[in-house]
Amino acid sequence: MNRLANPLAPRRALPEKTRQIKEWTRELFKLDDAVVVAITELACRDEDCPDIETVIGIMRPGEKIETRRIHKPIADVERLDFAAWTEPPS
Amino acid sequence: MRKVPVFVLTGFLGAGKSTLLNRLLDDPAFAGTAVIINEFGDVALDQDLVRIGKTEIARTTTGCLCCTIGSDLRSSLHELHVLAHIGEIAFDRVIVETTGLADPAPLVNQLIPCGAAATGLRDHVVAKAFELAGIITLVDTVTGEISIENHFEAVKQIAFSDRIVLTKTDLAHDPASLRDIDALKKRLSTLNRSASVVDAKHPDFSLSSLFQPRDYAPASLGGDVIGWLALEEAIRDDHVHSVVKTVETASTPPFERHGARIRTFSITRTEPASPAAFGKFLNLLTLSAGPRLLRVKGLLQDRDDPERPRVIHAVQHAVFPTTILDSWPSEDRRTRVVFITDGIDPEPVRQLFEAALANRPRKARRALGALSTMAETFRSGASQLARALTG
Repeated sequence: MNRLANPLAPRRALPEKTRQIKEWTRELFKLDDAVVVAITELACRDEDCPDIETVIGIMRPGEKIETRRIHKPIADVERLDFAAWTEPPS
Repeated sequence: MRKVPVFVLTGFLGAGKSTLLNRLLDDPAFAGTAVIINEFGDVALDQDLVRIGKTEIARTTTGCLCCTIGSDLRSSLHELHVLAHIGEIAFDRVIVETTGLADPAPLVNQLIPCGAAATGLRDHVVAKAFELAGIITLVDTVTGEISIENHFEAVKQIAFSDRIVLTKTDLAHDPASLRDIDALKKRLSTLNRSASVVDAKHPDFSLSSLFQPRDYAPASLGGDVIGWLALEEAIRDDHVHSVVKTVETASTPPFERHGARIRTFSITRTEPASPAAFGKFLNLLTLSAGPRLLRVKGLLQDRDDPERPRVIHAVQHAVFPTTILDSWPSEDRRTRVVFITDGIDPEPVRQLFEAALANRPRKARRALGALSTMAETFRSGASQLARALTG
């Protein structure tokens, strides 16, 4: 079945990339297992941005959910995109 | 008061939701079923592709439910409730067929007790009258793997389901194809460990058991689902605050999640057409656009048999054989084709359509020239069309 598909078709490897982004988030923010990290894609509403953004939710027990946004689709997110996140979100 | 069970029927574009819904509505056991059909974009075609019997109640909504933060869903359910309350209709089950691009998270939040907060009397009425009784996700065994790899919505649809139905398994005849289905099943189990997986073509497949009301418990589906539901509410809060801050105008688009690359457009033709010419157009388009042509569906008025429309289906690279209906499902007898695409402009597709149906190779080549700016693959498609049209 899958071999009927175009073998040259681009593959975004979303499940693997999502796991990778979660790992980067946990490393950067030093999150333990009690903290839930969720990733999703949304249409970006900001001008001059790519039309899809990645939203990362960090859910620490008893705290308000912290959301971080990267103005790229999940497939294009890189480790470097996390570099600016040394300060809490404004 | 016993709550009315609501089932969400989802699955990525072309997975076979409407086919399953048709099968279900033909079954007398589902006579008391109200159906809410949601379509992506402004062109409602599924209402003609799903045969609604006399005893069922259908509401069709355009505009993706997940983009309107589920408000359309509560509104549709409330409408059904009011009509039942005044005795105009009667039903004991609701099935919501989502668009193939739907993100289930906002829909589930609208239907579970600890989800999105009620914002008015309408929402309280819906919460008291209805309950989520199951999410059934269809997975196309031909394109399922590619959809999982490339579309986050497909991943979430699988993760949120408590029943997964494999479709098009009858197309697998050789050992390699059967091995691919086994690999897909393993992939599904990594995305959702608790949902049971059934084959729509298996002799024991039972629609009744699939739509048997049960407790839908997001917690049993794993941390990802809980995380997505919570994140959805946080995003919703962000959105509400940004609306307050920026005082958006009526022209501001609603909350969206698919981005501008994903778009829908339609082609309508009043004159009957040759199925062979249409087939050439569709084959070339799917060959050239591949996975970026997410879905094509429509009704074709056959030049040689205008009273019996042909139903057209294509999903990504796969064109499925047309089926012929005994009669037109509504007064509208025009050829109508809806396209859902990822990064494809409508105009060259329209030009190609007209050129192919009019058998105008020169115009077709010009259309393909325009299409070729979208993808390298169209270049090889141009020569194929030229051969097809002149051959």
